[in-house]
Amino acid sequence: MVRAVPGWVRIGAWIFVLLAALFLLAPLIVVMGVSVSEAQFIAFPPKGFSLRWYEKALNSPAYVDAFWLSLRLAALVTVSACILGGAAAIGLSRARRSGGVVETFFLSPLVLPSIIFAIGLLMVWSAIFGPTSFHALWLAHTVVALPYVIRTTLAVLAERDPHLEEAARTMGATRLQRLWFVTLPQCRPGLLAGAFFAFNISFDEAVLSLFLRNPNLVTLPVQIYGQLEFSPDPTVAAVSTLMILITVALMLILERMLGLTRFASG
Amino acid sequence: MTDRRETWLLLSPGLVLLVVAFLLPIARMLVLSVQGPDGTTLVHFNRFFQDAYYPLVLWRTVYLSAIITLICMVIGFPLAYIMARSTPRIRLWLVIMVILPLMTSVVVRTFGWMVLLGRSGLIASSLRDLGLAGRSFQLMQTETAITLGMVQVLLPFMVLSLLGVLVRLDPRLEEAARTMGCSFLQTLRTVVLPLAAPGLLAGSILVFTLSASSFVTPSLLGGARIEMLAGSIYKNVTQTLDWNFAAAQAVILFAGIAALLIPYLKLGARPHG
Amino acid sequence: MSDLKLTNIGKSFGKVEVLHGIDLTIRSGEFVALLGASGCGKTTLLRIVAGLDSVGSGKVEIGGTDVTDLPPEKRDIAMMFQSYALLPHMSVAENVRFPLRMRRQGARSEQAARVKAALETVRLAHLAERMPRQLSGGQQQRVALARAIVSDPKVLLLDEPLSNLDARLREEMQVELIDIHRRIGLTTLFVTHDQDEALSLSDRVVLMNAGGIEQEAAPRDIYDAPATAYASSFLGAANLLPAEISGGQARLADGQTLAVPAGTGAGAATLALRQENIDIGPDGSLTATVVTRVYLGARHRYILDLAGQRISVLAPASVMLEPGSAVRIGIAPDRIRVLPA
Repeated sequence: MVRAVPGWVRIGAWIFVLLAALFLLAPLIVVMGVSVSEAQFIAFPPKGFSLRWYEKALNSPAYVDAFWLSLRLAALVTVSACILGGAAAIGLSRARRSGGVVETFFLSPLVLPSIIFAIGLLMVWSAIFGPTSFHALWLAHTVVALPYVIRTTLAVLAERDPHLEEAARTMGATRLQRLWFVTLPQCRPGLLAGAFFAFNISFDEAVLSLFLRNPNLVTLPVQIYGQLEFSPDPTVAAVSTLMILITVALMLILERMLGLTRFASG
Repeated sequence: MTDRRETWLLLSPGLVLLVVAFLLPIARMLVLSVQGPDGTTLVHFNRFFQDAYYPLVLWRTVYLSAIITLICMVIGFPLAYIMARSTPRIRLWLVIMVILPLMTSVVVRTFGWMVLLGRSGLIASSLRDLGLAGRSFQLMQTETAITLGMVQVLLPFMVLSLLGVLVRLDPRLEEAARTMGCSFLQTLRTVVLPLAAPGLLAGSILVFTLSASSFVTPSLLGGARIEMLAGSIYKNVTQTLDWNFAAAQAVILFAGIAALLIPYLKLGARPHG
Repeated sequence: MSDLKLTNIGKSFGKVEVLHGIDLTIRSGEFVALLGASGCGKTTLLRIVAGLDSVGSGKVEIGGTDVTDLPPEKRDIAMMFQSYALLPHMSVAENVRFPLRMRRQGARSEQAARVKAALETVRLAHLAERMPRQLSGGQQQRVALARAIVSDPKVLLLDEPLSNLDARLREEMQVELIDIHRRIGLTTLFVTHDQDEALSLSDRVVLMNAGGIEQEAAPRDIYDAPATAYASSFLGAANLLPAEISGGQARLADGQTLAVPAGTGAGAATLALRQENIDIGPDGSLTATVVTRVYLGARHRYILDLAGQRISVLAPASVMLEPGSAVRIGIAPDRIRVLPA
């Protein structure tokens, strides 16, 4: 692993990593464990093994409706984030030298807490349209998902051969043709990765969804939050585990298709 | 169409979205915070500072965030360093281990902590079995609970920030230091740490900001008694519908974050010898 | 194919003037090399012909039409890039078809036939369905070439296309280029920094220096009769000696004299002597000192000190001289180029 490192450091490192892994993954493991517990109340380690909570979750209209809402929302957010984010990334890659400020602006929702505009968005929306709606959530989620798409697409565009577009010009390609035949294919891996991130972000998003919620607009995380505020039973754990599994599946697909780590650092 | 026109055409849909759904709300919030029945007023801000309760909430938010940031630095730096110096295969697994919690919903992770820290949770019952705690001991609804939960949520941000910088650090610099007589720890302190400082700075700013602004985890783990500022804002927005006051609190929160970060940024921007 | 006329081309990037006063006419079917060191402006000039960079001043005419204000896609040219610039998500055949497709030249079947012909010209017809990443560097280069000739452009532009290839592949490709040019005869403008390449491939060499044309001539003429010291040293390793000419004799710095071609004007001058034209032997009229001996396998290269100047001389491997020893050298007058001082 590390070279020329004293033995005690190496052992210490392994133990440290193990503990860190435990710490980072503990809540997820706990949730998954509780979901298969047989007991009526929430307990970890789980007692017995049963899938009844999954059954209960799948039969509960509140959870099922929330799931479909989250799914629809995430799908539409993915589309809007990819279209807007892809276009923005292409534009940013062209304006690289003078585009520093604009790029920072686009990527700012990544580092700014969503609460900063959640409040104002609710207030603006109420003033214009009244009660919040699906479109409000769609708008809000797109704002947070957009920078993920931009970041992954920009990363891919940064590695491309800059001469391809010039070559296409010398071959008679007009602006639109170059966009379609050269630039968009170059973006594709970045857009795909961005799409997965966008879907995951939207599906899991809690803060904006909580601020913009109303009785008809309950996403899955909001539904879970509501249950957690009162007295949750293991059904919550079952639903949560399903959410974890969806995330894991998305990550696996992402890694298999494109290599996750290149988007991880930086 | 010229190149410039095309570039602006590509950028404008995204820009319009951000201006309408991001900048406009922030502006509206600022306006609301000083809006009163008779025009511009500071009454909402006054209410915040004159009440005994709210400054306490602010203080708690700040110092808990500072502690959380510190812990994330202490745990995050060694973890990121180990990851940076591992073989690519191991690093891949470690990155997955770090990213996976990041990609799960915060409500799910917080739920996990609720189970762990509750009265019948693993931690409490183990401590009880070891005789270190009383019968009704629980970690829920304590500041410790909030800290634990937030560290787990925010640690990946710190690690990824540092990882980006550490991975680009040439390991031969450390090897050179070792050949010049530095021990391993000395090398870490004198070579790696200063060069990793930008990542440390970026990571801690990120963690502090996110920590001070979060309400999901603190609300669930801290309960009604231990409130953080974002939780109070959420309550005023969705429950008491006191929007002007909520806006004022939000302004105070972000002004406070900015006020703390600017000297911190200046500190980091100072050239190292 | 068409002719290419450049009139008074000037170009600056910001405050830096990269090209000034370039006048150049290339006849239809001619293969012209733009030769020069990095920064001389040759690539910029090529890009201006392509339309990828705009002119600062001047005019570009292709086949009699003023294309100065036309973008590249409207100029009916073809360009080969140093990095090949093959579209990675398209097959070889689709890459070659691309210019025809963009310009909407002919029905699908006709396009397919032209693609096939172009690939056969570069002997890659059997790889038509492969993807670029499956090809070697040399094969990718040939696909780029096929793609450049398929649309029958008015002018073919080559931007140092062989620089990325190793020596052997480069020689192979040079032969192919000569061959293809002979068969198809497109008007070609070829940028290179390699003088051997320019000499072997082109009908005419245009030597550029610091944004201007230093000399333009057929390869043999520019090599044997370089007009300036710069041209002389750029093409072939030439030794440059300051001398004073009078009465058919050149007097070197240390007083030694040697005969120069009849009719050479008197006065200060620079003598350009090619290393392969200097003979080491007892018949020589000049004396020099050996400084270094370099063994090259089939030959030796000697660095000699002649009249205070270091000069380079090639000799057979059998000639063995020790550093520090004196040696006699000679050169035929008609092999001496007399250049302005």
